[in-house]
Formats: sequence, C-alpha cells, structure tokens
Amino acid sequence: MTTTIDRRVIVRAIVVFLLAATAITLVSVIMSDSAQATDAAAQVVAADTSGDEIATTDATGTGQIRWLQQLVNGLAFGTLLALASVGLSLIYGTTGLSNFAHGEQVSFGAILCYFLVTPQDITIPFVPTSFNIGLPLVVGAIIAIAVSAGTGWLQDKFLWAPLRRRGVAMVQQMIVSIGLSLALLNFIQWWIGGGRVRLTIAIDESIDLGVFSIGRQTLISLVIALACLGGVSWFLLRTRLGRATRAVSDNPALASASGIQVSKIIRLVWVLAAGLAGLGGVLLALYDNGTAFDAGARLLMLMFAAVTLGGLGQAFGALVGSLVIGVVAEMSTLWLPADLKVATALVILILVLLVRPQGILGRAERVG
Amino acid sequence: MDFADLLVNAGRELFAPATAAFALAAIGLNFHFGLTGLLNMGHAGFMLLGMYGYAITVREGGGMLLGILVAILLAMAFGLLLGWPTLKLKGDYLAIVTIAAAEFVRFLGRSSVMKNITGGSTGIRGTDFKEPFESLSPFPSEQITIGPWTLHGTASTSWWLVVVSWGLVALFAWLFWMLAKSPWGRVLKGIREDEDAVRSLGKNVYAYKMQALVIGGVIGALGGILWSFGNAVQPDSMGRPTTFWIWTLLLLGGAATVFGPILGSALFWMALVVVKGLSAMFIPETLMNATQREPFALMLVGVTLMLLVIFRPQGILGNRRELAING
Repeated sequence: MTTTIDRRVIVRAIVVFLLAATAITLVSVIMSDSAQATDAAAQVVAADTSGDEIATTDATGTGQIRWLQQLVNGLAFGTLLALASVGLSLIYGTTGLSNFAHGEQVSFGAILCYFLVTPQDITIPFVPTSFNIGLPLVVGAIIAIAVSAGTGWLQDKFLWAPLRRRGVAMVQQMIVSIGLSLALLNFIQWWIGGGRVRLTIAIDESIDLGVFSIGRQTLISLVIALACLGGVSWFLLRTRLGRATRAVSDNPALASASGIQVSKIIRLVWVLAAGLAGLGGVLLALYDNGTAFDAGARLLMLMFAAVTLGGLGQAFGALVGSLVIGVVAEMSTLWLPADLKVATALVILILVLLVRPQGILGRAERVG
Repeated sequence: MDFADLLVNAGRELFAPATAAFALAAIGLNFHFGLTGLLNMGHAGFMLLGMYGYAITVREGGGMLLGILVAILLAMAFGLLLGWPTLKLKGDYLAIVTIAAAEFVRFLGRSSVMKNITGGSTGIRGTDFKEPFESLSPFPSEQITIGPWTLHGTASTSWWLVVVSWGLVALFAWLFWMLAKSPWGRVLKGIREDEDAVRSLGKNVYAYKMQALVIGGVIGALGGILWSFGNAVQPDSMGRPTTFWIWTLLLLGGAATVFGPILGSALFWMALVVVKGLSAMFIPETLMNATQREPFALMLVGVTLMLLVIFRPQGILGNRRELAING
C-alpha cells in the first residue's frame, strides 16, 4: 500500500476528471437535439420524481456560481462516500474479497439510527407490538454505529473466518457476499418497509457563503467525516496496528511469517469497515434528507467505482477515488439530467479499467 | 387459501413462461459461468438490452424478425464492449464491470433524456410490441383451461407463449449440450479449470472467453424478450436483484449441467410461491402482513444462495468433481 500521495497521483486524478468532463460534454452535445425540448422540464421533474437521487440538488440562489456550488456538493458527497468506500477497500486489501454486502452495511447503519431516534411507532419482525424509542439523534447515531461495528465483528467471527479456514475460494466467498447482500436488503425492507424515512424532521438551514451555500447539518457531517478519515489515516500510518494492517494488505503470508496475527488484523479491519460504513450511512442519510432500505445498494456501484478508480485494496486510493467520483457525479448535473448522475460515475469506472486497471494509486503490475 | 390452491399455483410456476424465460437466461449464464468460469454479474443488463432492442424495433414498425436481430446485435455489441477491457484481467474486474454496465443500461433506459425512445422509468407498454408475436398464435383468442390451470390462448402470459418459450428452452439446452461436449466446449472447460494450461497449449484464451461471453449474452437477450412477452418492458424489473436470482437458480440446479438451469428455474419460482403461500397460511396477519411476505421470501432466496455456495456449490445436478467454482 502506498503511504504517500505524490504529485503523479494528483495529476492522474485531474486527468481522469478532465476526461470525464470532456466525455460528459460530448454526450450532452450529442443528446442535446433529442433532449432540448424536454430538458428544462425534465430536469425539474427528474429532481423530484427520480428515486435514484443520491443527493438533493439545491436550488441556487442569486449571486451564487452554479458550478462552484456543484463542486462543493460533489466534494461533500465524495467525502461522505469515502467513509463507506475506505472500508470496502480495506477488506479487499486484507482478504481479497469484493464484498457486495457492503452497501447493506451502509443502509443498516442509517436504518438502525432511524429505528432508534424516530418518534414514530416502529416494529421488529415477528414481534407483534409496536413501540418507539425516540432517543436523541446523537445518542442514537452513536449506538447505531457501535452496533454496525459489532455486526462486522459477528460477520467475520461466524461467517468469513470459518470460510477462510475451510479454504473456500475467493470467487465462492464473493457469491456468498452477494447472497448476504440479497438477504440483508430484503430483511431491511421487511423490517422498515419500502418507503423513504427521515432521521430528523429539522430542516437543514443553509449557510450562504456568497458564492455558494452549504447546509449547517452538512457542514457538521463533513467535520465528523473528515475527523474520522483523518483518524483512519493516522491509524494506518502512525500506529503499530495500522502498520500491521498495511503489512497484511501487502502480503499476508509474509506478514504472518514476521509474527503478525493475520486473523486478528482481519477481524479488526471488519469491525473498522462496518463501523465506518454505519457512520457513512447515518451521515449520508442526514445529507440526503432521508434514507431507504436500498440507499446503500444504490451507493454500492459508486463505492466500487471509487475503489476501483483509486486502485483495488488501496485505502488512500478509495479516498481519492471517492472524491473524484463525488465531484464528477455532482458536476455532471450541470450538463446532464440529474437522474444520469450514477450512470456517469459508472462510465468513468469502465473507462478507467480500459486505460489503467490498477487505478490511480495502484502499482503498475499485471492484474490478470 | 388452502393446500389445493397452493399446489395448483405452485404447479403453474412449473410451466409458466416466466420460468422458461429465466431458465433461458440461466442457460446463457451457464455458458459464462458453468463452462468458462466467467463472473458475469450483469446478466440482467443483457436481458434488458434484448427487451429494449426488440420492443423498440417492433414499436417503430420494424417487424418481429428485425426486432430479434436488433436484440441479438445489441447483446453482441454489449458483450464485446464489456469483454474487451476486462477479459484479460482477474475475475473480480469482470464482475464489477458487468454489474456496473448493467446498471448503466438500466439508468440510461429509465432516464428522462431517453423518454422518447425507451419510455423512461415507466418503460414500454405491452400493447406497443406484443402484437406481431401474438398474431402468430395458432390458439383461439379466449381463455383455455387445461387440467386445473386456465390461461389465455394468445394474449400476454398465454398457452402460445408457454409453447414457444419452452420450445426455445429445449432448443438452447440442446445447443448447450452439443457445444459443451464439442472440442470448443472442452477448451472452455479447460479455461475454467486452468487458464494458463490452456494458453500453454497455444489456444487463444482471450478469444475463447469472448466467444463464450457473447453467446451467453445473446441467449440472455432472448430470455429477456421472452420475459417481456409475459410482462412489459420495465427497466426496474431488470435490476441487480434479477441477476442475483439467475445466479441463485443456476447454482441451485447445478452449474455446467444441461438441465441445471431448467430445474433451478422451476424450483426457484415454485419455492417463492410456496413460501409466500405457506407464510400466508401459517403466520398470522399481525406478525407478517401481505406486503412483508415478498421481502421475507426474497430474504430466504439470499440465505439459500449463501448456503448453496458454502455447502453444495455443485447444486442439485452438478458433479462435485467438476466443481465449477474455483479461482
């Protein structure tokens, strides 16, 4: 795992971004004749009917520069996305598993937080009474994140560690994670229903900074996210355990030979990844003004795009990748309708694999 | 609802056109995964492209044959496009790219930009494209009862569709059987078992993988067309869960076997009806209401997939020695 982000990495990130911008412009030019008539109307319609909205597109007030606003939105969204994708990348790095159930970890954090804080009546499957817990948001969120981290521990203890011990092939484990994702997704839908739910009814008052505006809640979320990402970076770079984690990620056999307890490190990574995903879920639900049983499933593709873009298994790559994906997804709404946001990110993913399959931070090595 | 009704409903799933459509799609996936070991996680994307290609061509007055041709060409192009960057890389990359590409097709199809062509998120209504197919029906245009089951003769989910779709399934199962035992199929199995060994024999592994991807994708597209005859072209019905269902039923029946996809599809759809029926009968309304039965049944699908892959990766019909999942 690379520890420094050198200049080439930044250049590469910028090149990817510029390529994406060019591609988006080209597509919008090609599409403009078919879309011109419906464009303005469609954007309005898309903004409030599309179920695939990841983030709300704020109406820009006077005196604000729209592209700058979208850039800020993109950076904010990218930072929150990074919380979720760093875990995915760490798991891939240490175990080699592409965990398709990671999206459900994100939804689980958000839905559990809703379950704990909502003043409305809630139920648990197979328990015929309804009740409400109604904790304060902060307390509920902390419990939700702790429980999320706990599910990471449970999962590794009772599912993934036994599979690794039995020597089950990676592809098989990947399909197991797909099964888990399907089971969790439907369990959450069974539990909470198919509609959108909100963590808080408070309206996010926006702070006008002249050229752009940002919500108060979003700002707090961003501070928390950045603090956590900083903490993870510090952990990976400066502590003994973090160094051991990177060693396992580089070469498990060699790490094991030098006295590192690989299985313990992997357990720790699962706890960390699930906890970060839970936090990401809660913060994204706040940023997004609501969440649903499939919120994480929708994010999964963006997470994979970010992780692949940064280089599979590179924790810092996931960070850079998430920011690029976030910015591109939000900036694309300047040219394209909002419901193509995710599609744009997926095109970038495919383009990156074409030219640089090892990602921005990955080493140039044979990956086939 | 009592047991007799449940049995009749479960029995209907055995020969329903939807079962045949998924069986056909699973035969396509069997070319990818069963024979070659390719991790195509975007099979629903091939199906959706096939549906769009056919429905749009027919709606614009292109006729049925042209529609099928367009669907096949679209699936071929999609397969070539996906295979080009990823077939030289590790399996994970193909998985991520196929799933991303399938979602891309769905997002593009349901986006407001394409509303004039694909009908946006509402899709294309059945009346716009089903007519040429239904006009070929030799059956009378009325409800026909055979045994305990009543279906329409020609329209939508009809006896005509039952006959055609199972005919196609039989045809492609036969094709799979012939190709799997041909020298070409043996090379594919070799690639699945040990790519480098096959390469060292002088075979062009990349080209073989590409052929398998394209053929399986085209069969998937045909499965999509069959599905659309019984329903309508609806982009959200072909999302990621659909791909995962096809995987589940393929692994259930047994990958790399001729009848695995067919048995798996029949069992899968029957089990869904049985689980929903039984939970309606035995779990009181206060514990689980009607809207909760669907996710409950699908949750069990996910658990089944996990248990299958862990404990019986060869499925019901598969051969343990010819274990398809490795790598």
